[in-house]
Amino acid sequence: MSLIPGLGIVRGMGVTLSKFFAPKATIMYPEQPADVAPKYRGRLQLLYDEWGTLKCETCFQCAQACPIECIDMGGIDTKGRFHVHWGPPETYGERREESAIRRSGRTVADPGFAHFEEIDLAALDEILAAHDYDPKDTLAILEETQAEYGYLPVAALKHISRMTGAWYAMLYGTASYYRHLRFEPPSVTTAPRAGEAHRADEAAYRSALDAALGGAASA
Amino acid sequence: MTTFLATPRDWPQVLLGRREAIAADPFDLDAGVRAGAFEGLRRAVRDLGATGTIAPVAASGLRGRGGAGFPTGEKWRAAAAQPATQRYVVANGYGADPATQTDQALLLADPWSVIEGLVIAAFAVGATEAILAVRNDDPALVTKLEGAVLAAEEAGFAGDDVAGSGHRVTVTVRPVQGAYMLGEETVLLKALEGKRGQPDQRPPYPAERGLFDRPTVVNNVQTLAAVPWIASHGGEAFAAIGSKSSPGTILVQLRGPAGAGIAEVPLGTPLRDLVQLAGGTGGRAVKAVLVGGPTGGFLPGDLLDTAYEFDALREQGAHIGSGSVVVADDRSCIVDLARLLTRFSADNACGKTIPCRIGLKRLDEIGDRASSGRPKPTDPQLLDDLAHDVAASALCDHERLATLAFTSAMRHFRPEVDDHLLRSTCPAGVCTPIAVGAGTAPGSR
Ligand SMILES: Cc1cc2nc3c(=O)[nH]c(=O)nc-3n(C[C@H](O)[C@H](O)[C@H](O)COP(=O)(O)O)c2cc1C
Ligand code: SF4
Ligand code: FES
Repeated sequence: MSLIPGLGIVRGMGVTLSKFFAPKATIMYPEQPADVAPKYRGRLQLLYDEWGTLKCETCFQCAQACPIECIDMGGIDTKGRFHVHWGPPETYGERREESAIRRSGRTVADPGFAHFEEIDLAALDEILAAHDYDPKDTLAILEETQAEYGYLPVAALKHISRMTGAWYAMLYGTASYYRHLRFEPPSVTTAPRAGEAHRADEAAYRSALDAALGGAASA
Repeated sequence: MTTFLATPRDWPQVLLGRREAIAADPFDLDAGVRAGAFEGLRRAVRDLGATGTIAPVAASGLRGRGGAGFPTGEKWRAAAAQPATQRYVVANGYGADPATQTDQALLLADPWSVIEGLVIAAFAVGATEAILAVRNDDPALVTKLEGAVLAAEEAGFAGDDVAGSGHRVTVTVRPVQGAYMLGEETVLLKALEGKRGQPDQRPPYPAERGLFDRPTVVNNVQTLAAVPWIASHGGEAFAAIGSKSSPGTILVQLRGPAGAGIAEVPLGTPLRDLVQLAGGTGGRAVKAVLVGGPTGGFLPGDLLDTAYEFDALREQGAHIGSGSVVVADDRSCIVDLARLLTRFSADNACGKTIPCRIGLKRLDEIGDRASSGRPKPTDPQLLDDLAHDVAASALCDHERLATLAFTSAMRHFRPEVDDHLLRSTCPAGVCTPIAVGAGTAPGSR
């Protein structure tokens, strides 16, 4: 209790007045954008859908866009082929644990992270030299590599990436897009031979169309 | 094997006019020249000059045969006007639709018209690099085309000094393969750059920034094959053929219960005549005509007077597309066909955007539910909304047009779609699980 009646109110108003004239520190969020470092890209996080499965479609768009190639993922690609590929996987939560184990020197149980098999690179070096290590010739290089090895081994993709300077994610995205390119050696897969898959799809579409017409049309 | 169907004698021929004269060996340059090949190029170089060549092409009203029907003269002008140190011309001979062989048939029947058109286009827009992009399915065709280009170069119709004009046009044959989407122009350019085949946002159109970011004219092989004819006969003569807004002729791939074949028809021909060319339906009622290939639309039998040309078809919910015209009689089920097409489109979408990757997939699932007799009560509304959203948010024309199968079915065959979606029945008796579920014997066809 103060001795002078009303002094409390005067003091209180004094605070108000001093704050009234003091320089303002309010940030007009969200009208005024926060100061963000130019390299900031937000936090990487994989989201789950309502069924509890990962929303990631393994489309490799993010890996292709990432300027420092820090994103990598494993899973089933758009053509139903399971493929886990090689890269620094630390950035994705689901991989963090394995990475920590691997860095600690212990073996990781995930077979997807087994180190890729070495191949004899001499033939690939010739192909690359013939194309002058030009990433503009990527498709031709990939096709010739496949003709040479029967498929596209990860070691070959890595080597092409190193020699042409094309990002591994770019190469992988390109190779996984075209149906005539394949990642499995013919001996370990029942998948149709390169090129046949696409032609078989096309033939299936043609005959389905004819069947739906009910007649005996032929091309 | 591709069969050419006989067309009425009085129908004009622009693309296949030389076919019979050089049928003995279409890849023999001398025979081609005797039959008139490279006359248009000589005329362009001698009388018209580089920029003067664009004028008759613009005046002819020639529109792109690749499906979209973009005015060719306008495209060439845009590419020629763009300041650049290097320009490209690409002939799109991929022929993406697996059930259409028109572009390949043209390359086999008269390769010279395409090569000549390509060189004229390069000459007109000031490009020194011309690329003939073809499908690698048939290595023999690729080898033959490479030989044809070499022969044309040796004869001076291409190469360092085109027909004595002092212009250089290097023609390269580039085989591509491995994806349906390679037909789309920006995807084709990506493949030629050695990249993953996903479309780019347009604009900028390739005419401004195309191959390796240089101005690039991408034209269908049929579009280019019409150019020599225009260069030697003049734009007005071409404009007089076909319909007013879509002049000229086009190759159509016909397919129906009576068989299949290719025919050169003037644009604007009523669909009724095309049904007849396809061999009709043998006394049965024409239920629908599917126009435009895998991303095409259905027109009902009472719209057979619709003219086969860019604008009239688009108004009715179909499009020229791959040049395919499929005749379905009363034995076929529209929902079954729409499901088939949507499945194909969804399977072949590139995966770049959400409408492409997920939208088409969901559309396909509705089709599956409809044709297997397990629709959800919300499906009619969902189908409508989803088709609209996919078309509105599409990055490339593929998703936009892939909705046509179901939207045109909803528009012209609503009762049949409702039978599937609301009553789980198939009036044509094609969708068998439904017919069984509804107690109808599946043997009505
Ligand atoms: C999914 C899709 C497939 C296409 N396939 C082809 C094709 O096979 N051949 C073609 O010439 N154009 C095709 N196009 C059209 C091309 O994108 C492009 O418009 C055309 O080649 C341009 O040539 P034009 O102006 O002479 O029509 C396709 C378009 C889309 C969206
Ligand atoms: S690969 Fe990357 S961009 Fe593609 S769905 Fe997965 S997280 Fe998204
Ligand atoms: S097909 Fe993927 S964006 Fe069009």
